[in-house]
Amino acid sequence: MAADLPPAGPPAAPPPALAAPSVSAALTETQVRVTSSFSGARIVLYGAVLDPADRPSDVVVIVRGPDQPIRMARKTRVAGLWINSRPVVFQGAPGFYMAASTRPLETIAGFGTLRRLGAGIDHLAINAPMEQRIETRYGVRDVVVSRLGADYLDWRRAVVRLKENAGLYDTDSTGVRFVDKDLFRAEIDLPAEAPIGAYTAEILLFQNGEPVHRRMRSLTVEKAGAERALYLFAHRRPWFYGLATVIIALGAGWAASVAFRRS
Amino acid sequence: MDFYLPIAEVSVNAPLLVALGAAVGFVSGLFGIGGGFLMTPVLVFLGIPPVVAVASEANHVAASSMSSVIAYGRRRAVDFRMGGVLAAGGAVGSFLGVEIFRWLRLLGQADLVVSLSYLIFLGVIGGLMLSESVGAILRRRRGEPPRARRDRRPLWLYGLPLKMRFPRSRLYISVIPPVALGVFVGVLSAIMGVGGGFILVPAMVYLLRMPAGVVVGTSLFQIIITTSLTSVLQAGRNQTVDIVLATLLLIGGVLGAQLGAKASARFRAEELRALLGLIVLLMGLQMGLGLFVTPDEPFVMMQGAG
Repeated sequence: MAADLPPAGPPAAPPPALAAPSVSAALTETQVRVTSSFSGARIVLYGAVLDPADRPSDVVVIVRGPDQPIRMARKTRVAGLWINSRPVVFQGAPGFYMAASTRPLETIAGFGTLRRLGAGIDHLAINAPMEQRIETRYGVRDVVVSRLGADYLDWRRAVVRLKENAGLYDTDSTGVRFVDKDLFRAEIDLPAEAPIGAYTAEILLFQNGEPVHRRMRSLTVEKAGAERALYLFAHRRPWFYGLATVIIALGAGWAASVAFRRS
Repeated sequence: MDFYLPIAEVSVNAPLLVALGAAVGFVSGLFGIGGGFLMTPVLVFLGIPPVVAVASEANHVAASSMSSVIAYGRRRAVDFRMGGVLAAGGAVGSFLGVEIFRWLRLLGQADLVVSLSYLIFLGVIGGLMLSESVGAILRRRRGEPPRARRDRRPLWLYGLPLKMRFPRSRLYISVIPPVALGVFVGVLSAIMGVGGGFILVPAMVYLLRMPAGVVVGTSLFQIIITTSLTSVLQAGRNQTVDIVLATLLLIGGVLGAQLGAKASARFRAEELRALLGLIVLLMGLQMGLGLFVTPDEPFVMMQGAG
């Protein structure tokens, strides 16, 4: 199945040239601190294309959040009721994914190249390993067969759709803009729901339909301040945390009752 | 003013949550119920993950109930012994309920069971309360005497062993029915994210035949114990209690509960029961009818990868 190809490998080595074109980029922020006032963040990526030969260039920026398994069910009608099917676990879907480019990806490079690079939501290797088995079909060994069968594409589209609705997946075919001759700019919008963890920003330079240079930048989203302290408290000392919440609740109830009695 | 919740990992509007807490707290003080059955669905609707909503709501219910139970205690309207027996059953029930809920989540059927529980329990109880209290109101309007209360107590309450005296309720009954009721309510509270007052109150009136004066206070007392336990269990086992969410809700909740308790003196008991019955019935239908409507989005994402 096409969507089940192995994930992207390293891009092909740039073709030898006298002055190899390259790209360089930086993020305005490399650490997003999630505090109690966090309601999302906008990070700007600046970069420059360095090419003495001045060939026409396209830039693609791909930002990925930490991978998270996704558990999904489909509602089916049973005796008049809409009931969840057995949950299916999908792997290989990043918790955040943004692909921004200077023009639509399919006009920048061919299908095979994009698939190999994992560039674009359609080329993410999202699959359900627990539904798969390897068998021999028509004498061909190691054929991957999914139990989801032909519905697989519906499921995969649903994963993407639900993530897009949550603002976690985005494709912006004009997201990378050249602000000056060789200087480009892209914006990364992290919603408040963006997962905590390590992100990577991959900046790809395309010329003539081929990736000629690649830069990686990293970004971390982490809880800070009181948010971090509470989160750690809840996870390191869960029973004390539970007692503390109950004491606050009962204390507040008692205090309100006393205050109202006096007034 | 938006607040990022450390455990739920979503951003919420703080004044909205305080106002919601106050509104539900008011209802809670007015009727002597926890109000979880109203709040949990609203929180889920606001985008808070259901597991966090259920767990944090238990904490809010504990606070509102604490806020109003003190007033009832001063009026000697709490049967602490009955409350303790019910809570003992409730403790067993919440342990069972947390396990059942985990198992249902693994099967992916937690949503179904939650919606069906709302439809069945809220629908039936709301419908019964509404018809009973509307009947009482109509009889009073027509000037008929209230239907004589049948003082003959059901045999099954008296035929069972392990009898115990409940002086405040003027009862001498077996502890088995109250314990069983407690277990049942405990299971429901863990699954539905509610305190269970909407089941306890009618059950105490119609099944245990407790005097109306002590029912509400006793129910609140039992709810405090069960929901406090549920909070600690959920925090300890699942780390799903959001302290910021719970605090925002309970600030409004404890104040609303006080106002509600004051307002309750202005209404007749059957009018209050009719109103509560209507709210319960509507909530049950709202939650349950979703099962019959063709969903816009046939796929649902579930919390956690289990």
